[in-house]
Amino acid sequence: MMINRFLLAAVGAYINMPVLADSGGLFDIDATLPLMAIQFLLLAVILNAIYYKPLGDAIDERASYVQGQLKQAKEQKEKAIALAQQYEQELRAVRKQSQEIIAKAEAEAQKLVAEKVQQAQQEVIAQRMKAAEEIAKEKEEALSALNQQVEALSSKILEKILSV
Amino acid sequence: MVNTWSYLARLAEIEVGEHFYWEIGKYKVHGQVFLVSWFVMAVLIVASLLATRNIKRVPEGMQNFMEFVLEFLRGLARDQIGEKEYRPWVPFIGTLFLFIFVSNWSGALIPWKLIQLPEGELAAPTVDINTTAAFALLTSLAYFYAGISKKGLGYFADYAQPSPIMVPFRVIEDFTRPLSLSFRLFGNILADELAVAVLVLLVPLLIPLPLMVLGLFLSGIQALIFATLAGSYIGEALETHGHGEGEEEHH
Repeated sequence: MMINRFLLAAVGAYINMPVLADSGGLFDIDATLPLMAIQFLLLAVILNAIYYKPLGDAIDERASYVQGQLKQAKEQKEKAIALAQQYEQELRAVRKQSQEIIAKAEAEAQKLVAEKVQQAQQEVIAQRMKAAEEIAKEKEEALSALNQQVEALSSKILEKILSV
Repeated sequence: MVNTWSYLARLAEIEVGEHFYWEIGKYKVHGQVFLVSWFVMAVLIVASLLATRNIKRVPEGMQNFMEFVLEFLRGLARDQIGEKEYRPWVPFIGTLFLFIFVSNWSGALIPWKLIQLPEGELAAPTVDINTTAAFALLTSLAYFYAGISKKGLGYFADYAQPSPIMVPFRVIEDFTRPLSLSFRLFGNILADELAVAVLVLLVPLLIPLPLMVLGLFLSGIQALIFATLAGSYIGEALETHGHGEGEEEHH
């Protein structure tokens, strides 16, 4: 009966709709259609209020939050890189400065050493000359003293010989 | 022969074209369609309430799932309408998809037939031509509204683009669109339920299972097709072509 009716309804719908118009059928269009449409629109409005809007806002809010965080992180990274570069530059400058200071100190020290050595050498030379002069003088004195003694002795010897 | 058939049909409870009539004033409505549609609406509303009860930045459980669904619906609308104008249409297209999808799956997964009605039987609301025709007509209204609200009556001038020969075709299209939308959905879902019912009638065990799985797949596809087409009609109505504005960029 039912299948029969289905076939009838299907055929009827294509060939002669009013055949089953009173007793329902597959293509029985009635007040269900507008009511369903109204109900659907109502559902769309309700779902918009309790689903699409709140969750959509949540999704958008999260997206902007993530984007903000990403931007912030990027900025911080850039800042960190700039800072590191600055430190490196400063480090380089300081190292250069320290090397300069060391070189300067070395040069000064070498100069000082050279001066001291020269001074010492000059002193030594001067003392040696003085000592040599003294030696020469004493030698002369000693020689002259010896000469006198030789003369005195020779005159005494002569006297003795003559007086004998 | 007819008697045997009707007996077997009663066993498998294939009652096509039988309706559980409610009388509202002098109008008749199909009660079984409304009963199941209320169930579908209740499912959607409860799921939404569960998802939005406690919205967190890091989604959990139901919120996560419903956000995934919403992203999918937004993608669907965005693909058809375009990045710029899709947002106001998400509720319409999304509700179309959700309602049709949950209807179809409830018809395929819930043994409605176990609940006896005085006349007719409970099934997915989408096996009733009234439901699908209502959605199809709403879709037509929606795209007319979209076109007219954007371009005024100039929307109809677009019918003559790119050449006036197009006018009759465009007019015919306006009639065939709701017809094809409603009959495609109605026919597919009805055919699926009938095929499953007939197979159950012939071989009650195991054999109908692959067909039922196929039915689930088909139900999802039909919901997707309906929503996608609705979106593409709206998108087409919103599209500005010619007039030196150029095509909209789709992402």
